[in-house]
Amino acid sequence: MSLAIETIDLVKTYKHRGGASNTVVDNLNLQVESGEIFGFLGPNGAGKTTTIKMLLGIIGQSSGVANVLGREAGDIEIHKRISYLPEKPYYYEYMSGLELVVFYASLFGIRDNDRCKELLRRVNLANDMNRPLSTYSKGMQQRVGLAQSLINNPELLFLDEPTGGLDPIAHIEIRDLILQFREEGKTVFISSHELSDVERICDRVAIINKGQLVAQGRLTDLLAGGRVEVTAEGVSDAVSQSLRHENRTVSFKDGRLILDAPDSDDLNGMIDALRNGGAQVVSIIPRRKRLEDLFIEAVAEDDTAKGRQRGRMTDGNSDGTVSTEVEEVKTGEGESS
Amino acid sequence: MKWTRQGKLVNGPIYGLMLVLLLVGSFVQMNQTYPFWRKNYMPKVTDLGQLTGEQLLFAFAGFREMIAGILWVRADSFFDNGDYDSILPIIRLVTYLDPKQIDVYATGMWHIAYNFTDQENRADRRNIPIAVAFGEEGARNNDYTYELFYETGWLWYHRIQDNFPMAVTWFEQAAERKDILPARHNLLSHAKLRAGDYKGALKTWYELLEEAEKEMERNKSQRSNYAQRDTVEGNLDNLLIRLTQRGYFARENGWYDQGNYDTKPPFDVKFSASVTVTESRVMLVEGTWNVFPVGTRVKMILRDADYPNAGAAGLDWEGGDANNFSAPVGLTYVQDELFVRNRRFRKSIDLSRDPTIYPFVKDKYILEFYYTPRVAPEHIKDKFGYNGEGMTDSNFLNTEIRENQRVIYWKTEVTRDQILRRGEFGMEGVIPVFKTPNYVAPRVRNPEDDLVTPGTRRVEG
Amino acid sequence: MNAVLSIARTTLGEAIRRRVLLVILLIALLLLVIAPGMNGLTARQSQTVLLSLILGVLQLSSAVIAIVLTVYMIPNEVERRTIYTILSKPVLRWQFLLGKYLGAVSALGLMIMLMTGTMIAVFAAFQGPNVETLASLARVAMMYFVQMCLLAAVAIFFSTFVQPVVNFFLSGGVYLVGTVFGSLFATIAESQQLPQAVRVAAQIVMLIVPNFGQYNVQNSVINSGAQIVGEGIYYTNLAVYGVVYISILLLGAMLVFDRREV
Ligand SMILES: Nc1ncnc2c1ncn2[C@@H]1O[C@H](COP(=O)(O)OP(=O)(O)O)[C@@H](O)[C@H]1O
Ligand SMILES: [Mg+2]
Repeated sequence: MSLAIETIDLVKTYKHRGGASNTVVDNLNLQVESGEIFGFLGPNGAGKTTTIKMLLGIIGQSSGVANVLGREAGDIEIHKRISYLPEKPYYYEYMSGLELVVFYASLFGIRDNDRCKELLRRVNLANDMNRPLSTYSKGMQQRVGLAQSLINNPELLFLDEPTGGLDPIAHIEIRDLILQFREEGKTVFISSHELSDVERICDRVAIINKGQLVAQGRLTDLLAGGRVEVTAEGVSDAVSQSLRHENRTVSFKDGRLILDAPDSDDLNGMIDALRNGGAQVVSIIPRRKRLEDLFIEAVAEDDTAKGRQRGRMTDGNSDGTVSTEVEEVKTGEGESS
Repeated sequence: MKWTRQGKLVNGPIYGLMLVLLLVGSFVQMNQTYPFWRKNYMPKVTDLGQLTGEQLLFAFAGFREMIAGILWVRADSFFDNGDYDSILPIIRLVTYLDPKQIDVYATGMWHIAYNFTDQENRADRRNIPIAVAFGEEGARNNDYTYELFYETGWLWYHRIQDNFPMAVTWFEQAAERKDILPARHNLLSHAKLRAGDYKGALKTWYELLEEAEKEMERNKSQRSNYAQRDTVEGNLDNLLIRLTQRGYFARENGWYDQGNYDTKPPFDVKFSASVTVTESRVMLVEGTWNVFPVGTRVKMILRDADYPNAGAAGLDWEGGDANNFSAPVGLTYVQDELFVRNRRFRKSIDLSRDPTIYPFVKDKYILEFYYTPRVAPEHIKDKFGYNGEGMTDSNFLNTEIRENQRVIYWKTEVTRDQILRRGEFGMEGVIPVFKTPNYVAPRVRNPEDDLVTPGTRRVEG
Repeated sequence: MNAVLSIARTTLGEAIRRRVLLVILLIALLLLVIAPGMNGLTARQSQTVLLSLILGVLQLSSAVIAIVLTVYMIPNEVERRTIYTILSKPVLRWQFLLGKYLGAVSALGLMIMLMTGTMIAVFAAFQGPNVETLASLARVAMMYFVQMCLLAAVAIFFSTFVQPVVNFFLSGGVYLVGTVFGSLFATIAESQQLPQAVRVAAQIVMLIVPNFGQYNVQNSVINSGAQIVGEGIYYTNLAVYGVVYISILLLGAMLVFDRREV
């Protein structure tokens, strides 16, 4: 499978007045395959938006390589085949939804009002397309943003925090739309610091923290190592003894046995043993490892183990106050232009 | 040439293009737009230092003319109060802001030339070059109308009375403008006559007559057209008669010697004069003038020996700087007219009350007496002619200091100590007196002669 | 080019809805309408002062609008992140800038047209419909428009690298220097008394700072009477000069903007 996005040792360093510099993206190596939904995860201020801007050529990299659809990032030809939904976008408020989409279409030289209306219908804005954007809810604005991003039928979509600040219903609407994109064979690059959405729709994810890649891979692989919970009634002592094993926990509650084991264990064997011992299996609940666990694991590990030595601000003097301040994970929107 | 590489502009060609454009722009500005703008539209602001910050800001934000208008309204109250010194900066400011304010130029030059006088009503003549320069500036800035050419000419004609060819030049320029009023056009002819160009004056009258008659034909109901025609006709008549009687045509035709003309023979005016410094800065001027009819004014000048641009019995009146309205500090120039009655003149001149106008800070001074019939009333010109043809003086006739004129002229040097009665002249009984060698003190003095008010009546003598 | 025009149109649409601009415009219109009432002067001056006043209002408000309109244009786009959506489309940065400029200029043209219309109506109402004067008023307004296009180019150039508030004063300053001190620098450049170096320096300033003063042709209208020969050619030359300097400024802006991190 060909790579839709590839970065090799991509670095972005901001220089500040007075010689200090701030490395926001640090030797990032990403591989995004065509046709997949790729989740780009990290806490606020991790460098996600910066990375996307570099991939779009809106800002230049300090060093390293960024290729998009087989060409160098920023190549204007690529812009015809990609699209981008910035985080928390604001559109020209006086425009109606339709006017906005028509405007963006015109940037591609597309003059096709029917197509624009069609796109708005697709994002469920058929009834609101003639209202000014200033009257739109956040979710509607995000959907109109998605509509405009589809105008050129892009092969690759960059969605920066597409569900940020939306209510749960809006979340679901956006998520369903993104899933449709996959059906159409589009590659979708989603950055997010909210995990539940990504977990449900992404094929692969990368996790970055403080500009550095912490983990990258297929979701199923990264989430490998889930557990299974078996509940049974009428379990004899002998049977329960035989089930005890390293890595397993066996407990009783209300006379029921609850067995918690890694899903790599021989589940069939355990169930056979229970049934042969005359016990009644009440339920078998697989408990997969959740992305959240992974994320917290990765970030926490990074913070404790490597955080200090990787202080992102290197200003020559080792003034403790400066580096402490910088190493905090930014919680607000850390972006400024 | 490649302008872009991967969607980014390439420096070299863009810089090149910018440079080329800059050259083109500069060329257009230097050769086309700027000279044209300066000629036709530029507000003639020469000295921005005169404006305060907010005036500058307002002025150049486009409200220039409005500010000028408001300031000028304010100046009105100063005129009412007689606060003449405060008016000068306003006049200067207003005309800087709005050089098209013809009224302000006209009022301003008149104000400078006429309103600054000493306690005895002598003009502060040091200002006159400023008034002239101001008039020139105004004319330059408003050269589409005759008005300021006329006003500047008027200064030469009436205020300066020393260089009538200049008056002619300015009136001629005024006459070139279509909007000139006929009555003012007439002045060109008068000026030519005073400049000694009687042929030019005649020619102008004839032209004016033709013009007036045409105008009358064109608009019969306009009463002023008749008046103008009558005026021109009357003036022309008079001039022809006078030129005949005074022998100008005869001279031209070569039979002057045979005829009996008013200007024959030259009459000896028997000029003599004496100046006594009676007190510090006070002098008694006396003298003789052997002409009976009233109407003679002998000019007396007392000035710094090194007064800038000074010449015999006058100044270079064109040497002023209109950017600076303050009179030249530390210079002294006194000019008075001595009125002759009963063949004598006698006047006490007190300069002690105007130390700013007559500072007397220099060491050496020139005292001059001067007479030319050019500004004399007609009954005197009848005898003396326009250029002094019928006038002579056994001692002081001068044909050099004024081209083609016979004038009376005497000058002597005076020191500061003499005027201020200082040093050796401060001593009791040492009284400085300057007199022509032929001066003889009168035996009987008529006290009524001491102060003379010039009459306007023509007195036959 | 499609993209440039689309951006221009959008910019225009947005500009004519900006509240600040509308307020300035409203004040200007109000001033134009009440101007005749502020005029208690002598008869000879009344037309002069009225003309001067309303042309002054027109010029000053046009300049303020030109600056306010342009200084926030690029920074606003960045702040609202709309610029990212646009630049992620096949739109080059110089196209974006050009579109923004053209949009600003059309908005400016529209507003100046509105003010000029009002001005002419007011003048006609108070001084009688003298076709010649009214036509020359329109001509003066035209030249103001070119002047303001130049000013907008200056402001957009600075907006590619300085903050809006700084830019406001910077552009205003350049305008002031270009209007007022243009003649001053010319005087210095020609003065025989001053040292060569000073004169050359003045010459250079004159060449680099756009000469806004040249577009102030109101003197000929305010003080009618002066006959000017060759005004047509002059106006053409002024337009050429304007286009040339606008191009220089826009090219400069494009270069800076192209390399800037937004
Ligand atoms: N123009 C800039 N100059 C300096 N630092 C910047 C700039 N833009 C972003 N940053 C910093 O880079 C870091 C990462 O920002 P960003 O990429 O927006 O994070 P994310 O999108 O992951 O929340 C933040 O700490 C932010 O302060
Ligand atoms: Mg972000």
